[in-house]
Amino acid sequence: MSKAELKSNKMLDATQGLKNIMGRHFLAIEQAFRDNKPTAWATSGSPVEILYAMGVQPMLPENSATVSAAQKYSKNFIEIAEDEGFSYDLCSYFKTNVGAVLSEADMLKGGTRKPTFMLSTDVICDTHVNWFQVQAERFNVPHFTLDVPHVVSNTNNRQYNYFKKYITEQLYDLLDFVQDVTGNEFNEERAKEVTKNSWDLSMIWQEIYKLRKEIPCPISTRDTFGGLFPLFTMPGLKEPIRLYKRMYREAKQRVDHGIGALKQEEFRLMFEGIPFWYNLKYFGKLEQWNAIIVYEPYTYAFSKYMNPNVTKDYVLSKPIEAMAELMLSFWYIYDLKTRVKKFEETVREWKIDGVLLHNNMSCRPNSCGLYDLKRHLMDDFDIPCLIIDADMNDPRKLNETQVTNQIESFIEILRKRKKK
Amino acid sequence: MKKIGIIDSGVETPEEIILAAGFTPYRFFGDPTIQPDKANEHIPATHCLWTRNLLEQALNGLDSDIVGIISSHGCDRTNREFDIWLEFINQDFMFFLNSPRKRDDLALKFFVSDINELITQLKEHYNVQITNEKLKDSIKKMNQIRKLLKEISEFRSKMILKGSEFHAIVKSVQRIDKDEVLKTLKLKLDELKKTKPFESNTMKKVLLTGSDIDDTEFIKYLEELGFHVIIDDLCVGTKYFWDIVNEDEDPILALANYHLNKPIYSTKFPSYERFDVLKNLLDTYEVDGVINIAQKFCEPILYDHPYLKKKFNEIGIPYLFVEVTYNRESYKQLSTRFSAFAEII
Repeated sequence: MSKAELKSNKMLDATQGLKNIMGRHFLAIEQAFRDNKPTAWATSGSPVEILYAMGVQPMLPENSATVSAAQKYSKNFIEIAEDEGFSYDLCSYFKTNVGAVLSEADMLKGGTRKPTFMLSTDVICDTHVNWFQVQAERFNVPHFTLDVPHVVSNTNNRQYNYFKKYITEQLYDLLDFVQDVTGNEFNEERAKEVTKNSWDLSMIWQEIYKLRKEIPCPISTRDTFGGLFPLFTMPGLKEPIRLYKRMYREAKQRVDHGIGALKQEEFRLMFEGIPFWYNLKYFGKLEQWNAIIVYEPYTYAFSKYMNPNVTKDYVLSKPIEAMAELMLSFWYIYDLKTRVKKFEETVREWKIDGVLLHNNMSCRPNSCGLYDLKRHLMDDFDIPCLIIDADMNDPRKLNETQVTNQIESFIEILRKRKKK
Repeated sequence: MKKIGIIDSGVETPEEIILAAGFTPYRFFGDPTIQPDKANEHIPATHCLWTRNLLEQALNGLDSDIVGIISSHGCDRTNREFDIWLEFINQDFMFFLNSPRKRDDLALKFFVSDINELITQLKEHYNVQITNEKLKDSIKKMNQIRKLLKEISEFRSKMILKGSEFHAIVKSVQRIDKDEVLKTLKLKLDELKKTKPFESNTMKKVLLTGSDIDDTEFIKYLEELGFHVIIDDLCVGTKYFWDIVNEDEDPILALANYHLNKPIYSTKFPSYERFDVLKNLLDTYEVDGVINIAQKFCEPILYDHPYLKKKFNEIGIPYLFVEVTYNRESYKQLSTRFSAFAEII
């Protein structure tokens, strides 16, 4: 690609392929139904690799909920769920899914199919378990949940070890459960192949992220917000690896030619939390202030292999044990102390000027601790932070004007700091 | 005696261990007369008001007798807020007990490990001995308390004991010296045995379920509106004493078994089994209706409500669901809904 072809202010060409790959994911789900093959709903954070390894086609309703939001259906679906008695204050992903199911929405609107079984875990939130309980009862399908102990700031190694053991034992139980429900056996060779693909996929994503350290940053949220979906819907398949490699190559070319995702990069930001899926264009507004988001813990979190104890050899030789360890140690569930440390390191490495923290009304586990995270970053490390109140899937909870005014003032603060 | 504070939305902290270590268990309750001004600097206002209330009290300063805190895994709130307590509440000893969400054999094994870890840390920190003998003695004592509470609880359905009075008893049991508790409960039982039923013709008999309701004034408020809570399914209620711990088993295993097998709360999996618990109570106690109270932002209760509503409709039991803000002023705004329900039943 020549320099002339490399343009700023647009999505990577490779990212355009995301639509196709996600389309094929949905087709694979339809195909599984046509062929009467086993399917499963899975919550994010659950070991989707095991499903692929056991010949079960996964579906992630969270992913579908974002499709509803992007297609502007989420508000309607949420209100349908509220009519069924689910509170205004409950998770908007959950309610979007309830509304989509009750409306019998097709996949392009964020609908989902009745699965053979459901797999949830409380690693990220309790909601996941409650959500699947609601829907498993509705569809009358079996539901397996993985109970993941919570690592807090003073958890010691002794505890960490028996936490890991508990998860490992449950994962082996899961293998039995899947076999009982589907008749499919766990095949170690297949598991190795799936795990290797999952590892490779995550590593390329992490390499893409490393490129974002460059000034100007070659990739914006136009590529990462949507780009993350294969990480949690298709870990274990080869196809998304090819897509990510293309993304990497194109981004690397931008870096080599000194071209940024933003024509004039002045402010480098971090965005903590889940984006507003119903208004992704909103993030484009940042460009008017020459600001670009160069790191989102949320989209990085799902490249799960970031625990230095979990090496490739370990993952390939003991996939179940490695999976258990990973479920205790990824970005989205860090305890407050680790969270502060990781944020500080990231701000330094990615040369970030300021942090936007999304107080997501739908995701209380994520927004809990946000105020103290902000306090630490500002007081201990002099990192400017701004908390914005909104919701990931419920457009009723975003006051766009108010948030824009807040961000505008925040950018002014960053500008003044730069002039000093 | 020195106390160990307990943060627990599902009464799953084995008090016997605290007793065996030589401390008095002291469960934290909310104070609906205060606003969580300081806590709001740590936790967004769209999060559980009850846990913010507990944090507010702690930020204002805890009783000097409290020398440590154990927080047990309930919902997402108790998990995530523990780190805030750890950083901002000045206590040398703080332990997060990962009471499991599931209740199968693996969960039991895990819970035993976590209880053992709690014991190890208590021993190391306070230089105390927690022997099996001491644990067994504590279990016996707590079982006596549980049995007495269960016996006293029955006087509610005999229309001798008011629901609010019983609620206050269950609360105080979780905060004061257990020997004192035993004496008080025995006296109360003797007194109740001699008391005649009160006039109850116009009162609506209800089963109260929902979030951890710890404000006795709320129960009094229901009574003023003409309801009588003859039985409940609450953590400041039957969940605290319904079953007893097996005294013949290894004490730690017995404690883990007890907590995993007692009537399920909405924070556990599968929480829909809470309906079966309620149904059993309905089979035993003749009530006019069920009232389900969700504290504002109490997710476990909010998720279960539509299912419970459906199930109660199926069996033809009048059911009222109300979201309550943890603030006494807000109770008054609910009187129309409660009164309408009283009319229906």
